[in-house]
Amino acid sequence: MEAQATLNSIQKAVWDGRLPLQIRLAPSESRIYDQTDPYLISYHRISYLPSLLPRLRAFFASSLIDPSSHAHDGWFSFEGVPLKWHLPTGLLYDLYAGADPASKGTVGSEDAGWDIDNQDSPLPWRLVVHFSDWPDEELVRLDAEGMVMNDAYINSVKEADFLRNGTAKGIMSLSKEDSSGLWKSVQDVDLLSFQRISNILLPPLNQPFRNIPIRLFLPLPPDSGCPSLKVVQSPVPPSIPPSSVAASQLNISRSSITPQTQTIGSALHSLLPHLFPSRRTPVLAKPVLHGAAVPMSAPVEELVRSSAYGDGWLYVVVRMMG
Amino acid sequence: MASSSLSSQRVLSAFPLLTPEEFECACRAFLDRIHVLGNLDGAEWSSVRFVQQATGPILKISRSIHNPHAPSYDNILSASVDTEEPQVETCEDDPEALIRESNSSNCLHIEHDVILSPTYQVPVLYFTLRQDSHPGPLGIDEVYQYLVPDQYRKELQNVGVMGGISFGYHPQFGTPAFFVHPCNTADAMKQIVGQQWVTPETYLIIWLGMVGNRLSLHLPYELFGTDVVQKLQGLG
Repeated sequence: MEAQATLNSIQKAVWDGRLPLQIRLAPSESRIYDQTDPYLISYHRISYLPSLLPRLRAFFASSLIDPSSHAHDGWFSFEGVPLKWHLPTGLLYDLYAGADPASKGTVGSEDAGWDIDNQDSPLPWRLVVHFSDWPDEELVRLDAEGMVMNDAYINSVKEADFLRNGTAKGIMSLSKEDSSGLWKSVQDVDLLSFQRISNILLPPLNQPFRNIPIRLFLPLPPDSGCPSLKVVQSPVPPSIPPSSVAASQLNISRSSITPQTQTIGSALHSLLPHLFPSRRTPVLAKPVLHGAAVPMSAPVEELVRSSAYGDGWLYVVVRMMG
Repeated sequence: MASSSLSSQRVLSAFPLLTPEEFECACRAFLDRIHVLGNLDGAEWSSVRFVQQATGPILKISRSIHNPHAPSYDNILSASVDTEEPQVETCEDDPEALIRESNSSNCLHIEHDVILSPTYQVPVLYFTLRQDSHPGPLGIDEVYQYLVPDQYRKELQNVGVMGGISFGYHPQFGTPAFFVHPCNTADAMKQIVGQQWVTPETYLIIWLGMVGNRLSLHLPYELFGTDVVQKLQGLG
C-alpha cells in the first residue's frame, strides 16, 4: 500500500505540472503584423497543444486577416519549427526549449525567476500559432471533430498496452464509454477519472509488466539534414534476465539467480551504450522527464507507473551534458 | 536443396512475431527474388529498395498508377507495353482529366515503407499518396477512393476510431504517413499460416499479400514463376 501511495503522489505531481506559455499570432496572418497582444496561459505539461486552439482562435479572431479559418486549421511553431501536436506540451518543451532540467539540489521551482520581458529567458515558452499554410510535409492535419487526435491517442495507448501485457486485448476490451472516457480524462486533466480507467488496463503492482513502454528522444545536430529528432524504441523488460547479468559480470559465480531490477541507467546503457557508458552515472548525457533530470538508479517500472504521460508512455529526452 | 546457404531457409523463432534479424533476412531474400526477375513490367512497381537506417531497415516499394485514359511514359519501367489492365481506375470523373489528357498530371505515386514495428514485432506498412498535379500529399479520402478496393472498404472503415488506416508519423523520418494498423497482424498471420513452418521470406510475402491487397498493392505474379524459383535455387 505504501508503494502505491508513493507512486500516486508522484503521479499527482506529474499531472499538476504546468508551463507558462506565451502564444503569439503569426505576424503574416495578423492585420497589425507583430503588434497583436499575445495569449498567456499556465498550461498542463501533460496536455496537448491543439486543445488550446478554440480559445486561441476566439482570442485572435479580430486580428486575423483571413477570418474564414477554423480552430482546427491551427498549428504551432517554436523558432520556426512546426511542433508535432501528438506529443505532450511538456515533452515538446523539454525537447526544444533548451532549458536546463531541474535536478536534486537545485533551488527554486520551475516557474521561479522567469521573465516575460527577457526574450532569452526560456520561460514563458514563446510559441507562435498559425491558422493558415498548414505544413503538410511535416504535420498531420487535424479535423473539426477531433477524431484525428483521438485516433492518435488511442493508437498510442494501444501500443503501450501491448508492450505492458504482450497483447492489446485490454484496450480492445474497454467499453466504448471507458475508451472515450480515458481520452476525455487526459484532455480535462482529470486524474481521478484517468486512474479509474487506466487501472483496468494496468497489471496489479505484484504482477510485473512484460515490457516498459519507453521511447527515447535524441536531439540531432541542426545540420544533419534530417528531421531534428531521432526516436529510439526497443523492448525494455522491467528486470534484467539473470543470464545477461551473468554474461556482463566478470565473476559469474557471485551473480545472483534472481533477476536484477532494470533501472533507467541500465536501460539507457543497453539501448545507447555510446551515450551512456555507465549504468550508474551520467557521463556524456542525462535523461530528462517532465522537466527534471531522472536519477539513473530509478527503476523503470516504478517510473512508468508513476510518471508516464497520459497515453501510458515514458518519453525520455536525452540531453547532452557540458 | 541440401546445399542451400540461403539464411532465409531458417524457421522463424518467435512466430507469429518477427525478430529484427529475421525481418532483415526476409527483406534481402525478397529483394533477391525481385532482382532475379529483372524487371517489374505490369506490376505497376517502379522500384523496390532496401534501406538501412540508423533505427532499422526499411523495405521501400514505389509504385505509380496511371489513368488508363492518359498513359504516361515518364519512367523507364513503365515504358514497355503494359501486360495487364491497371487494377485501379483513377480520376475517371476528374474534369481535369479531359483537359490534360496526354500528360502525367493524373499519375498517382505511392511510396510504401515496410518497417518492423518495435512494439508489435510484426511488419507495418507505412505509405504516402501523391498526385502529380497536386501540391503536398493526398488525404485519407483519396486513399479510400483510389487505393482501397470496394470489397475491403467497409471492413477497413469499421475498425478503431478512424478505421484500419490511420494517419500518423513515419517512425523513422517523423513525416506524416498513413499506416495500416498492425495490432491484429500477429493473429491474422497465425490463422493464415496455421501449423506449417515458414521462412522469413515466406512470412513477408504472405504478409505483403494480405496487407497489400487492401491497398491494391499486388505482388507481381512473375515472382512466383518456376523460372524465378529455379534461378533462386541456383543462387543457393
